[in-house]
Amino acid sequence: MRVALTTLLVLLGIAVVGVYSSLFVVHQTEQAMVLEFGKPKKIIEQPGLNWLIPFVQTAELFDRRNIDLDALPQEVILADQKRIVVDTFARYKIVDPLLYYQTVRNESGAQARLNGFIEASMRRVLGAANINDVVRDKRQELMEDIQAQVNVEAKGLGIKIIDVRIKRADVPEQNREAIYARMRTERQREAAEIRAQGEEQARRIRATADRQVVVTKAEATRKSEIIRGEGDAERNRIYAEVFSKDPDFFNFYRSMQAYEQSLKSGDTRMVLSPDSDFFRYFSNPAGSIPKPGSAP
Amino acid sequence: MPWSNQGGGNGGPWGKGGGPWGQGPSSGGQPPGDFEDILKRGQDRFRQAIPGGGMNKGLTTLLVLLGLAAAAFYLCTVRVNPDEQGIVTRFGKFDRTLTPGLNLRLPYPIEEVYLPKVTKVNPTEIGRRGGVTGQGAADDSLMLTGDENIVNVDFVVNWQIRDAEKFLFNIRDGEEFLAGGDARTVRDVAESAVREVVGTSSIQPILTQRAASEQAVRDLIQKTLDSYNSGIYITQVQFLPVDPPSQVVDAFRDVQAARADQERLQNEAQAYANSQVPLARGDAEKILQEAQAYKERVIAESSGQAERFSKIYEEYRRAPDVTRQRMFLETMERVFGSMDKIIIDQKQGGSGVVPYLPLNELARPRSDSNPGGQ
Repeated sequence: MRVALTTLLVLLGIAVVGVYSSLFVVHQTEQAMVLEFGKPKKIIEQPGLNWLIPFVQTAELFDRRNIDLDALPQEVILADQKRIVVDTFARYKIVDPLLYYQTVRNESGAQARLNGFIEASMRRVLGAANINDVVRDKRQELMEDIQAQVNVEAKGLGIKIIDVRIKRADVPEQNREAIYARMRTERQREAAEIRAQGEEQARRIRATADRQVVVTKAEATRKSEIIRGEGDAERNRIYAEVFSKDPDFFNFYRSMQAYEQSLKSGDTRMVLSPDSDFFRYFSNPAGSIPKPGSAP
Repeated sequence: MPWSNQGGGNGGPWGKGGGPWGQGPSSGGQPPGDFEDILKRGQDRFRQAIPGGGMNKGLTTLLVLLGLAAAAFYLCTVRVNPDEQGIVTRFGKFDRTLTPGLNLRLPYPIEEVYLPKVTKVNPTEIGRRGGVTGQGAADDSLMLTGDENIVNVDFVVNWQIRDAEKFLFNIRDGEEFLAGGDARTVRDVAESAVREVVGTSSIQPILTQRAASEQAVRDLIQKTLDSYNSGIYITQVQFLPVDPPSQVVDAFRDVQAARADQERLQNEAQAYANSQVPLARGDAEKILQEAQAYKERVIAESSGQAERFSKIYEEYRRAPDVTRQRMFLETMERVFGSMDKIIIDQKQGGSGVVPYLPLNELARPRSDSNPGGQ
């Protein structure tokens, strides 16, 4: 009775261990390959609970996800002899676990091989491109070219390359100074141009203002001359109108005024002849005129 | 099922602060030893309870049952917080998605629950170290522009888990991120995308029109991540102040200064113009007014003169000869009155007198005695 119980317990124990060791879980993120004495037996792509024969079969699990691979930065010489440092990363998937297992066995092996492929094809592809293609014009195409080339080689490892992207394509440290120098001179040029334009604008504004000043004054002068002329004309008209009443008297009257105005006291000396009309009573109270026309 | 009878159990010690359920994906819960211990002790108590049957034993039995129920409740439910989504795998295979609240589950080895925070916006900073913008310190934010300049772009990518299933099972970031790590995929793709966008642009728009570049980077990151089936949604890409590298920043600042100078020069000139032109207008007005004054003066004067003449003429007409003579004499009187006069009678032996005019001497005393004249 006791022996039977012990036997039962032992058998139960063996059964539990057997069941436990014959079950394995393939997670949603994984795929599995079952090996029988090291020989590939089947590939399990669906996640879930699976069986195998304990001690005879073993399971190898592989990632089923989109795996990232960060390649090392490489200095590449481009077709135009410029050097750039290119840092890439790739995304890949294990599509053939058997081939993957046979060729690279594990992830570090796979990544080492892929790194080599990427570096080689990057050098091939970028070596034929110039810097503007890499940085600006054909980045997408170049990345696709690299991806296509790597994909062909990666197929042999049971790997599918989903994407290869250039993370960085930068000028090496030692070449940067040249670019900085160029940037500086460009900015200096720009600054000088802007300042000169400012000066140009300023001068333009000043000149315009100066012109306006001159023109305004000239215009005013023109008008003022017209006004003065009008005044003069008016004066002439008034004089003519009045004086033409008796030109003879006007001559006399105006002459008298002119004498008085022009022969101011103190600044004139006169040599007179007593024959002058003014002195007609000087020697002759009758006032006979001695001789005409002896005025000063 | 035991938990369905445990309505009262909810208010017990398990209700406090969520108890052990709050701790992320419940990957196994308590060590199995504890559980077995409880079971064993429970069985012991149970065995003791039957023969005794006392009041005390009954209470113990009840407590044991309660304990068992609590353990079952703990193992078979999962609490999903409002900011989380529960992703359940059964034997490793994706089974279902849980919504926030209390959810049923099968215990650990059978089902696993992942609780990613799906409403949280996660920032991934690129080019920034320790929260401080490293001006040129971080090499990974220096990049080439399409016109072969170098700029320093630091930026933040804000992202969310949109499809938790894809995020967890299609890319490795899911696992790493839940374990508190960084989302490397977002970082790599963002770095690549920002360089692609910056590379196709020239330096000026990047420095000045950030919004457009940000949008382009966001779209490119999203497109790439979608092609990986990553389940990540980029809510926003935000450039931190974009600077030229420190080596050239002075030159760029000088351009700004030049712009300010340009404006200043123009303003100064404008100020000059604004002050000069009105002055000129004032001057012009002055000239016009002077002319007007001249005109009016001349007219007034001539009118006066004319009037005066008319008046005199009126008088003259009444007695022309007398008036004429009077005027002549009066004028001469005034003229000669204040004048140096030399009278030479040429008739009476005047031929002997040679009129000699010492012009020099005539001029001299006059300038002495009357300096104001001339």
